[in-house]
Amino acid sequence: MSAVTRVPSLLGVGLVWLWRLTVGALFPTTCKYHPSCSEYAVQSLRRHGLVKGSALAGWRLLRCNPWSRGGFDPVR
Amino acid sequence: MIVSTIPIFSQLEDVMKHVLNFFHSNIGLPWAWSIVATTIVVRVILVPLTIRQIHSMQALQKHAPQMKEIQKKYKQDRQKQNEELMKFYRENNINPAASCLPMLLQLPVFIALYYTLKHFQTNFHVGKHTDLSFLHFIPSIQAHTTTHWGGYVLLVVYVASQMASSFFMMTTTDKMQRTLFMVMPLFFVFIIARFPAGLVLYWVTTNLWTVGQGLITRRLVAKTPAPALERRSSRTPPKDDGSSGNGAKSEAPSPKPAPSASQRPRQVRRKKKRTSRR
Repeated sequence: MSAVTRVPSLLGVGLVWLWRLTVGALFPTTCKYHPSCSEYAVQSLRRHGLVKGSALAGWRLLRCNPWSRGGFDPVR
Repeated sequence: MIVSTIPIFSQLEDVMKHVLNFFHSNIGLPWAWSIVATTIVVRVILVPLTIRQIHSMQALQKHAPQMKEIQKKYKQDRQKQNEELMKFYRENNINPAASCLPMLLQLPVFIALYYTLKHFQTNFHVGKHTDLSFLHFIPSIQAHTTTHWGGYVLLVVYVASQMASSFFMMTTTDKMQRTLFMVMPLFFVFIIARFPAGLVLYWVTTNLWTVGQGLITRRLVAKTPAPALERRSSRTPPKDDGSSGNGAKSEAPSPKPAPSASQRPRQVRRKKKRTSRR
């Protein structure tokens, strides 16, 4: 990824970290997926940039509900 | 703050305003108790998730020895351990209780309450002498928690309830992580002290609900191999008329009086059904 496209995605990564350190830390729930949703978000943002990365992360969050199976689900 | 001007946040605030107003004006609860009632409503809505949680806890308990083996086998490699555990879940149809979406869904409620309390005067057109107190020790749910000694009491209750709820919600067996979650509220108390007391009240209520829920689910999980709970209670009454005299408790201890001959074949049948269903 070029430096120009990397900047906005890093912004997204920063937001994920902000979540992790604040609200995320308050709830002792571990994700049913591996990698966890926030880790998935970081990876997808780094790999696919802000737009596609956050779309993928959002889709993963929707999948991470009590009716889904969970399991090993890496960023493709 | 800029955030409150974003349309979605002001809409959230609007919804919260109506809900609180409903409890206060239509039902007649004081403002502080309206927050408690709202919290309870939110948690009642989440009850279906709780039921899923009970099921998954039972499944996890059933497979605990095998899972421990996997953890032992891949002790060195965390990544591999997680992957193998996930694979094991999938193969055995276990659905881990924890998932991110419900957690994320609670966030909007929290944000909405924050802004509603922040703009309380303009939101509800209340005067200076409106009663915003809670149980005589919090003078105002709108003021910062630390403005009155009662707030400190509330903070202590918060820490205790947060620790207790962490204890019940914990799905990890990792010792480090467990300790971390238990200690976390001690640090968060400094952030939360800056919030309006009403928000802490929300937090305490939701934590206490979690604890109650945890106690009930633990009981259910420990006592029964559950899927046949209702069936058993409907069949047992004729058998235990001689052995148990406690009419009031008849529902809970009913599995105990008839443990041996009658239960074993039933359990086997249940197991078969379960496997064929899945």
